[in-house]
Amino acid sequence: MNFMDWITNLDRRWLYLLVGVFAIVPLIFPLGMPVNVSPAVQSLYDHVEGMNPGEIIMVSMDYGPSTGPENDPMACALIRHALSRDLRIVMLALYPIGGVNEGIQELQRCVGDLDPPNGVLESTKFPGKIYGKDFVYLGYKDGGLATMRQMNENIHEVFPSDYWQTPVTEYELSNEVQGYDDVNFAFSVATGIIGEWWANTVNAQFGLPVAVGCTAVSAPKYFAYYNAGQMFALLGGLKGAAEYERLVLDNYPQAKADTEEQVFYAAKGWDVQSVVYSIITIFIILGNVAYLLERRRTRMQL
Amino acid sequence: MHIFFAMAPLNTPDGFGIWVGAFFTLCILSFLYKDNPFFRFAESIFAGCSLGYYIGNTFSQTIVPNVLEPLVHDGHTPFISWGWWVLVIPIIIGVNLYTRYIPKIAWVARFSLAIYVGYYAALEMMLKLQGEVLPQSADTIISLVPRGTPMIDWFTSIVVMIGVLCVLVYFFFSAEHKGVLGGVSKVGVWFLMISFGAAFAYTIMGRISILIGRVVFLMGDWLGYGA
Repeated sequence: MNFMDWITNLDRRWLYLLVGVFAIVPLIFPLGMPVNVSPAVQSLYDHVEGMNPGEIIMVSMDYGPSTGPENDPMACALIRHALSRDLRIVMLALYPIGGVNEGIQELQRCVGDLDPPNGVLESTKFPGKIYGKDFVYLGYKDGGLATMRQMNENIHEVFPSDYWQTPVTEYELSNEVQGYDDVNFAFSVATGIIGEWWANTVNAQFGLPVAVGCTAVSAPKYFAYYNAGQMFALLGGLKGAAEYERLVLDNYPQAKADTEEQVFYAAKGWDVQSVVYSIITIFIILGNVAYLLERRRTRMQL
Repeated sequence: MHIFFAMAPLNTPDGFGIWVGAFFTLCILSFLYKDNPFFRFAESIFAGCSLGYYIGNTFSQTIVPNVLEPLVHDGHTPFISWGWWVLVIPIIIGVNLYTRYIPKIAWVARFSLAIYVGYYAALEMMLKLQGEVLPQSADTIISLVPRGTPMIDWFTSIVVMIGVLCVLVYFFFSAEHKGVLGGVSKVGVWFLMISFGAAFAYTIMGRISILIGRVVFLMGDWLGYGA
């Protein structure tokens, strides 16, 4: 049996095994693959850099655990970037299957453990940053599109209490934010269609600048919105996350130290992506060459 | 670089949860070898848990703070205060949807459904026109002469414009695709193929990310690598 016969008859489970092995190795032995920052990602970084201390960012957690490896690093990088620059953050979740848990998990990963009902309000990772004053988490609300529209009229009606069921009027920050006019921009960390709603509803109808961090599967569609100017920045999949994380880590030592403490972060994921992607590409090329040669051989026999 | 393994303890609630998660992850991954009862078991458990989570989450995060709490604690006078009606009418509309399970009065659910469909149809119409059709169309209307924009951006815009027109021609089925129309629609097919290729590549990237997530969970949370 020659090589081409072998490749066309190869049991695909060997390929799964190969991908599995190469998904593990770069996590143990990081390769430090280069990350080139694209304009769509640079735009978010530049926008945050251009904001004045005290200005507010709305971060909407519109994804669940299934896309966490792509979306978690985006959310974390933005939270760390914003807090490092003394910006304030209002977080909320609109994704039904796990958005609320992703929100609290990423917030606590970035600022440290919180327990506002029992008076634990200060961030351990960003000393001096206080829950309710510098950042607040409003929790989850059902309804998607209808919720977004209603938030333009009065956020307090949509989110009468925060994640811990404390009335939003009791905290300085959530009391101050009553509509989209009170925030500088919204960042939707999204899977599926919710990020699109931020562009085609909140941006188009209410004029709030929007940036989206989407999953790779959705990225081609989101780029149409980005090119049309309906969102000013776009982080597409793990690659977008790694680019933004690189920008933040290169410029903020505290964020770098906190991020590199984690078992997983976007740059490590990008190493795995690069290796596994290369393997898949090689097998796609080999498979196609084998197919073409096989077709040629069949034609010649006829 | 440090290789350090400390498996999650089984005798703590968090550790036990991680072991359960690892078991179900391995059950699902076993499908890669071949279909088996462990995979089907994990699949069914996942479907049930997701639904239960959704119901519980919606109840605690939406129904309680937005409906029950204001109804009980905001001091509305039943039947008299406007605020009471604002809360009760949507409850009636919502509960009404469930009458479809009682055959004799199933038709009553249609009123709620009609309101729901009417609201979202209007909302979507606005969204599609104002948020998608108009801005996306506007983005394809460009100056044929590059004025003040980098040459590469101008060239990209021209390619996008040609692509949009060719793909639109491909989906125009009222005339036979022959002659010029056939040629243009063939170019449209090429644009579609390239976009499918890009979408497929991004999809692979997304799926690898999901695999990375599971590998990190098994290695980090379960086996304790780097702990």
